[in-house]
Amino acid sequence: MDGKTQPTTSELIIMIAGAVMLVASFLDFAGKTSAWGEFLFPLATLLPLYGVIMALQIALTKFANVNLPDTLAGFTWEQVHLVLGLFAGLMAIGWLVTDISSKGIGFWLEVLGGIALAVGAVMMQRERQTGAIG
Amino acid sequence: MNQTKLSPANIVILAAGVVMLIGSFLDFYKLSLHGFGGSYSASAWSGANGFGVFGIATVVVLCGVAMAAQVGLSTFASGVSLPDTPLGLSWDQVHLALGFQATLMMLAFLIRSKSSLSFGIGFWLMLLSAIALLVGAIMRVAGAGATPNAAG
Repeated sequence: MDGKTQPTTSELIIMIAGAVMLVASFLDFAGKTSAWGEFLFPLATLLPLYGVIMALQIALTKFANVNLPDTLAGFTWEQVHLVLGLFAGLMAIGWLVTDISSKGIGFWLEVLGGIALAVGAVMMQRERQTGAIG
Repeated sequence: MNQTKLSPANIVILAAGVVMLIGSFLDFYKLSLHGFGGSYSASAWSGANGFGVFGIATVVVLCGVAMAAQVGLSTFASGVSLPDTPLGLSWDQVHLALGFQATLMMLAFLIRSKSSLSFGIGFWLMLLSAIALLVGAIMRVAGAGATPNAAG
């Protein structure tokens, strides 16, 4: 990735979603408990964790010119984003249909962030012309 | 039935997927109400008073079923043709990603506080099969026990 270019739309979506999810993870997720609180950690923490990993990878390569390895466990970074983004979207939908009675602002931000990560990851495949989608 | 021989990796995935599906209908959490003579239980498909069982544990089941279904279809359903690279990923990568996700989520369930609830047989079957799915996926990537006619 060229560190001197401006972030693309998909990269912005992922970075913003990741930042929002990190902040939201400290807000009320279920009742008065955050995603780091009792009964929810580490299950509900996976969503913001995926967001932070995705956002951090883009921020480091885009703004800090950090050279990360080309592949991770045989996955290109585009594939890592696609896998994490789709799993984040799936978990977001999963949390949406759980029977949590008192859903806090942190919950809704995590769900929206998870869906945004999936959308951003799919858009990234098109922007970088990986051939994975479309 | 297609006589294609399954590789050890695919046997592990197929068996683990079936066990996970069965386990998902058994008790995930249970609670004995001592002194009240009652009990409470929840499977991966039922609610558990906000404990995120249906919806979240269900994601794990979907991962296992998807992996086993791919192996089963590509081995036994000769009329079914699956894409070589779904979403730009090889099937080995898909299995690795799904196996990792399933294991990660089951480990998260394992270390999460669960108050007075205790794990049921369904949870333990799902945890073990999730680990088996990841092992099977790693075996596929490593090419361990691969057979010439193994499912793709």
